[in-house]
Amino acid sequence: MSEETEDIWGIAHVHASFNNTIITITDQTGAETLAKSSGGTVVKQNRDEASPYAAMQMAEVVAEKALDRGVEGVHVRVRGPGGNLQTSPGPGAQATIRALARAGLEIGRIEDVTPTPHDGTRAPKNSGF
Amino acid sequence: MRVAVTGTPGTGKTTATDRLTTDLEVCHLNEVIKDEGFSTGVDEDRGSLVADLDALAEWLSDREDVLFESHLAHHFDADRVVVLRAHPDTVVERLRERGDDDAKAYENAESEALDVVLSEAVEEHGVESVYEVDTTERDPDAVAAEIEAVVAGEREPSAGTVSYIDWL
Ligand SMILES: Nc1ncnc2c1ncn2[C@@H]1O[C@H](COP(=O)(O)OP(=O)(O)O)[C@@H](O)[C@H]1O
Ligand SMILES: [Mg+2]
Repeated sequence: MSEETEDIWGIAHVHASFNNTIITITDQTGAETLAKSSGGTVVKQNRDEASPYAAMQMAEVVAEKALDRGVEGVHVRVRGPGGNLQTSPGPGAQATIRALARAGLEIGRIEDVTPTPHDGTRAPKNSGF
Repeated sequence: MRVAVTGTPGTGKTTATDRLTTDLEVCHLNEVIKDEGFSTGVDEDRGSLVADLDALAEWLSDREDVLFESHLAHHFDADRVVVLRAHPDTVVERLRERGDDDAKAYENAESEALDVVLSEAVEEHGVESVYEVDTTERDPDAVAAEIEAVVAGEREPSAGTVSYIDWL
């Protein structure tokens, strides 16, 4: 563990697929997982797992765990478009970020790191959004 | 009738559409982009041309009975959109076998795990026009038969039938 001032900030990784969202809070290097939740653990029904409501519930759970471990703030890395959330970061991601903030975490940089399908060609950034 | 066959690179679009029995004209859009110069720039990091979607849409616009295949196919007007899927490990395996480098194989596998193409297809065309086909452990002829069934109107629309997010 490094100095305390570095340890109080973590990274919230938000993975948003068509059917599900997974939120993981790690230390700043990404090496140590401090808190983890997925849509499946909060809402069992398939399609609902990607809903902003489920994402908000999860965000509350992970934020609490992270706060318990001494994390005060997080930088957010959003990966994936999610089912109904094409604008990046989409409404689900935004609901997630607001819920993290409401639970008492400070929010730092927000980055969209969604991968790009490519095969000698790729779409322009944000095409169709 | 216009049919789009899309899916993450490595899901087997080119292979399956080459084996189709169909009256539709089959177009491989990746080749069209390169042959016609339909690009607006180069993505140096990925070794990819940035596709000119407007030019491609224009090129497609006077074709009526057509089936076009590409990981970009869902960006164009179509009556039905087939989305081929494959487990991310299968995507990596197939792309490596085809000779692609690891960086390309893994970014595509991660895209597949996050349903990037499926989500875009549903967003642009609606769930009632999307037909998801899992190709994992299915041979190309079986996949071609599924596409033929969609063209023939013998399949119901579907989306979100697979989930690979746990692969991440
Ligand atoms: N159904 C399948 N089962 C096993 N291997 C396949 C299948 N479809 C394609 N492949 C192999 O996987 C690689 C990628 O297929 P390809 O048709 O080029 O995919 P795409 O056009 O979707 O990028 C090729 O080497 C191909 O021979
Ligand atoms: Mg291909």
